[in-house]
Amino acid sequence: MFSPSHVTNQLSLVTTSSLCIPFEIPDEHYITTMQEDLEPTVRIRELKKDRVNFVLGNVDLAFANSLRRVMMADIPTVAIDMVEIETNTTVLPDEFIAHRLGMVPLISTNCDEAIRYTRDCICLAGCAFCSMMLVLNVACHDDNTMDVTSDHLEVIPYQQADDESLLPEDPGEELSKRTEFFGHPVGKHEQGVPPVLIAKIRKGQELRIKCTAKKGIAKEHAKFSPCSAVSFEYDPYNKLRHTTYWYETDIKAEWPLSENAKEEEPPRDDEPFDFNAKPNKFYFEVETDGSLSPQEVVMKVHKRLALV
Amino acid sequence: MNAPGRHESYVLEDGEKPVEVMEDTKIPNAATIKIVKQDHTLGNMLRAQLLSMPQVLFAGYKVPHPLHPYFLIKIQTDGTVTPQAVLEQACTKLIGTMSSLETKFKREFSYKDVEGTTGGAAVATGEDPYGTTGGAGGGWGRGRDYLDF
Repeated sequence: MFSPSHVTNQLSLVTTSSLCIPFEIPDEHYITTMQEDLEPTVRIRELKKDRVNFVLGNVDLAFANSLRRVMMADIPTVAIDMVEIETNTTVLPDEFIAHRLGMVPLISTNCDEAIRYTRDCICLAGCAFCSMMLVLNVACHDDNTMDVTSDHLEVIPYQQADDESLLPEDPGEELSKRTEFFGHPVGKHEQGVPPVLIAKIRKGQELRIKCTAKKGIAKEHAKFSPCSAVSFEYDPYNKLRHTTYWYETDIKAEWPLSENAKEEEPPRDDEPFDFNAKPNKFYFEVETDGSLSPQEVVMKVHKRLALV
Repeated sequence: MNAPGRHESYVLEDGEKPVEVMEDTKIPNAATIKIVKQDHTLGNMLRAQLLSMPQVLFAGYKVPHPLHPYFLIKIQTDGTVTPQAVLEQACTKLIGTMSSLETKFKREFSYKDVEGTTGGAAVATGEDPYGTTGGAGGGWGRGRDYLDF
C-alpha cells in the first residue's frame, strides 16, 4: 500500500556522549539528563532538490516512526485519477495506459491551499477548484517508433460538463494560490530531466486521452505519495539488539555498517548489554518523486500530525 | 461493486464522533478509548507518550482489524488523574514536541537555503546521490559542522 521504503532496524544508546557534535556543544542539551525533558534536535546533513538527509535526536522511536509514516502516507498531492480514452490504437490496452498515467508525478506545490478534495467541493463531480484537466494527443506519422512521454501531457483549463454549469459562482480563492506549473508533469519545464515513458507507438497508431487529476493522499492510492523512498535507521551498531543478523564466522566483521555508523561510537568489546537503553538518534533520508520539494514534505508533517 | 469509498478509512463521516471513552468497570482508574479514523501513526505515538508519563500505570493500543479504521487505547493511571485527563496531557505534550520540532526544522532549512540548495538541480542529471555537490551538507563528518555559523 505504501511506496517502497527501506527500514533498517538499528539503534543507538541513550548515552549523552554522541560523536556527531564534536566541539560546540550547546550546554542545555548535555547538562539535562532526563531524556523526556529534552527538546527534539534536528540536523540536516544534506539538502538537494529531490532529497533531504537529516538526523533527528531526543525523540522516542514511536515518534520518529510516526514522522516517517506521515511523510509517506498522509501528505496530499495531485495525481491523475480519471482517464477518458477517446482513441487508443496502440498495442497497450486502455487500462494499462490509464494505470501508467496515474503514476505520473504532477507538481503539487502548496496543495493544501491550491486545490480542494472533490469530496469537500460543492460541485457534483469535479470543477476547476478540485480538479485539473490534462490531455494527451499524439499520433505517429513517422517510420520510427515514437515514445509517448509525460512531456506530451498538456494541462488545459477545466471544462465543465454542460449539466453542471448551473452551479452558483464559487468564491474560492484556490486558483490564485497555484504556482505557475501546478498540476503539470514533473520535469516538463526543466532542462535535463528525462520524462516518464507512457507508451511506445509505431506509424499509424494514435492516442487521444483526457485525464482528470485530483487531490488525494497515499492511504487512498500509493500514487498520491510524495515520497519515492524514505530510509530510516537507528543504532547502526545494533547495541540495542533490536535486530539479528545471520553470519558465516565473525559477526563483527560481517555486520553491514552504514554510513551512519560514523556518527556513533562503536561498542567496546567489554561493554555489558544495557537492556534499559532506548534509541534516541534517528537517521532519515527522504526522497521525493518531485511532486513536492523535500522541504515541503517535512514541513507539512507538523501540520498533519498536529491535526490528529 | 461493493467496495467502500476510498477515503472512508481516514475521513470522519457526517456526525461521527472521533473519540469515544469506555470506562472500565472492573479495573480502577482505567478506561478504554476508541479513536476513529486513525491508525498506528497516532496510536503508537500516543501509547509511547503515555508510558513516559509517571502517572500512567498501563497504556497499550490495538488495531482490532486492519480493515476497520479505528484503534483502541487502554489506559490505567495511579488515581491522581483520570485516564481521560492523562490522555489529554499526552496529546498536548505531543503537539508541543511537534511544534518545537517544526521550529527546529524551519531554522535548519533556512540555514541550508543560504548555501546548498541552489546546486540541487544537478541531481536529475545523474549525479552521485551521495556526492559532495550539495554544499556544506556534503561529506559527513568533515568540513563545516552545522553549528559553525
